[in-house]
Amino acid sequence: MDALSFAQLGYAYPGAGHRALRDVDLTIDCGLTLLTGDSGSGKSTLLRVCNGLVPHFHGGVISGRALVFGQDVTRTNTRRLARDVGFVFQDPELQSVHARVERDVAFGLENMRVPRGEMRARVDEALHLCGAEALRERSVATLSGGERQRVALAGVLAMRPRLLALDEPLSQLDESGARALVAAVAAAMERGTLAVVAEHRLALLRPLAQRVMEVSGGRLSDSSDSDAGPAMHATALTGRPGERPSPNHAHVRLHGVAAGHPGAVVLASVDLELSGGEVVAVIGNNGSGKTTLLRTIAGLLAPLQGRVERTAGRVAYLPQNPTTLLHRRTLRSEIEWTLRHGGGGGAGADAVDATLADFGLEHVAERYPRDLSTGERQRAALAAVLAGSPALALLDEPTRGMDATAAARLGRAVQRLAATGAAVVIATHDHDLATHVATRVVETRDGAVQEQTVMAAAPA
Amino acid sequence: MNPRAIAAWSLAALAIAVSTNNPVYRAVVALCALNLILARGRPGLRLRPLLVTVAVAAAIATVVSLLLSHTGTHRFIEVPGDVPLIGGAITLESLVFGLVTGLGIAAALLAVAPLTLVADPYDLVDALPPFLARTGAAIGTALNLIPTMARSAADIRDAQRLRGWRPRRVRDWPDVAVPVVLTAVESSITLAEAMEARGWGSGPRTHYLTAPRWWFDVAVAVSALLAAAAFLALRASGAVPDWYPFPVIPPLPVNPAALACCLVLILPSLGPDTR
Repeated sequence: MDALSFAQLGYAYPGAGHRALRDVDLTIDCGLTLLTGDSGSGKSTLLRVCNGLVPHFHGGVISGRALVFGQDVTRTNTRRLARDVGFVFQDPELQSVHARVERDVAFGLENMRVPRGEMRARVDEALHLCGAEALRERSVATLSGGERQRVALAGVLAMRPRLLALDEPLSQLDESGARALVAAVAAAMERGTLAVVAEHRLALLRPLAQRVMEVSGGRLSDSSDSDAGPAMHATALTGRPGERPSPNHAHVRLHGVAAGHPGAVVLASVDLELSGGEVVAVIGNNGSGKTTLLRTIAGLLAPLQGRVERTAGRVAYLPQNPTTLLHRRTLRSEIEWTLRHGGGGGAGADAVDATLADFGLEHVAERYPRDLSTGERQRAALAAVLAGSPALALLDEPTRGMDATAAARLGRAVQRLAATGAAVVIATHDHDLATHVATRVVETRDGAVQEQTVMAAAPA
Repeated sequence: MNPRAIAAWSLAALAIAVSTNNPVYRAVVALCALNLILARGRPGLRLRPLLVTVAVAAAIATVVSLLLSHTGTHRFIEVPGDVPLIGGAITLESLVFGLVTGLGIAAALLAVAPLTLVADPYDLVDALPPFLARTGAAIGTALNLIPTMARSAADIRDAQRLRGWRPRRVRDWPDVAVPVVLTAVESSITLAEAMEARGWGSGPRTHYLTAPRWWFDVAVAVSALLAAAAFLALRASGAVPDWYPFPVIPPLPVNPAALACCLVLILPSLGPDTR
């Protein structure tokens, strides 16, 4: 019996004018299957069929056949399928049910009515598999993103699923967190668990994959023989990495800045100068101070010591979860809002259209932004924040959840913005973005900001 | 301590604090509660926020009572009568009345403070009876979401400000309030999806941990509830009358049995430390 068998599978979300899945044929019987494809192509939807979230949680119209370990997905509810299929979501912060790690990992076991005597052994086993034994007594709120994602995986593995479905699990993780999570998935696979993973960051997963499938417009095709992966991502970004521009008047100067919160200094004695026309990439592990640096430059966080000098002009700031900013009925009105309030020369149709074109969002201009796919929402938020040519743009993980095409488009938009004289600072785990778009790279590490003169090669 | 024992204790202390306006009994309840928090508070506990909250609430109650009660014999000052609400005499008796009211609020707040400062809120939710278990789990999950939402609200406000948002009028606030609410709703849906994907809603559940039940916890719960019952019975019988400082401040009557009921609340502070 195949673990997963889809035949002519079709699906449309409630009220949607188009099908999210079309005539999908897929069989999984071993190893790891990678799902790639642009944002909005249907990868997440396909994953959610595996455990019945589609159609039972999301509703909609499903057609064709979908069997998971011999169970008809359309007739078996998610709660039942959860015994066989473990699902890990993209956002580490929105999967924790309990405040403490140990309790959270046991949540699924409680729902399965596993006897208490057996639970502890299974929690131990799952934490060990994910390399998270040291986190057992910790509060979930104190964990890094990578640690939270491993705890989420442990919570799923404790239920001993036969198939793991992972929806862009690496998108919010730094390099070390991503490696640790992939190692945990590999350990689970060594025990016989199958896996199907939707991801844009393919470098770490591709060596483990038996098959690579591409999802495009809701249709599935086998692309195991193609060179998908970081090379394509890198070339899509093109380019020549920006050369450092000739000195322009400095937009921002930090003098001896200590940043953080009283009693918790994250960065100490930072001296940094940012000039118009520069694109500065800030790299560093989670918790090293990238976001703190951006917020201090933006003026959202007062320095604990030292001073920050900024020239006049609008500051655009993209937070780590920028889609939370979206609140207008259409994307067009969202961009108009920024242009109207931000003093960017008015909210004329030309300015709005130009912004939409910059981010490849013309086709969704009249749609409600929060109904867009994850990647489209990310681009929509970027467009909303960057509209009107700000003098200083601070972007915190802007390529999170983005496919290669969208990331490339962002890179070009950033370069165009810098060409207008703006200073752009990007906090990012995206090695390719830093390499191909930035004119300078600085690293936050051990409380300091250090200039990087040479970018290390991207991991193979 | 067992969260159910703490809940029973808090219920008893609150019942006593709100059923009487005699400052002696209120003070004893407040002191017993403070002692319990100091003796059994969760590791890493910071008392300052609680004390500030209690002090502010009590001070507001005191000042409001002082300014709005115009009866009493010993007058400090006379506010012109045409001043709305506070016009009239400010008296020593109204000051005492205000202080007693403030003490009542402080005692009530301190009586329920152990529910969050001694007990783990999640253990408390887990201790709910089976017919409330699903509601409790939903509340516990919501508690988990609150810090995330608070950060999200701050991020949204900051980012909208940099987009040019300036809250000059009430109608400007939806530009922050709407995305905060939408984000909260979406986060809840995502969390619900995650819970369902882990089998939530399958029916009765087993429990990974149960709070230890120790004879001392049982003693605390039973004694507190009996003490509250006895106090209320004394009130009903007239043995513990109301006390008012008007028109002159009378002596404070203290019923030994009622006082003993209040002093029973010190019991959890005296037991062995099992932290």
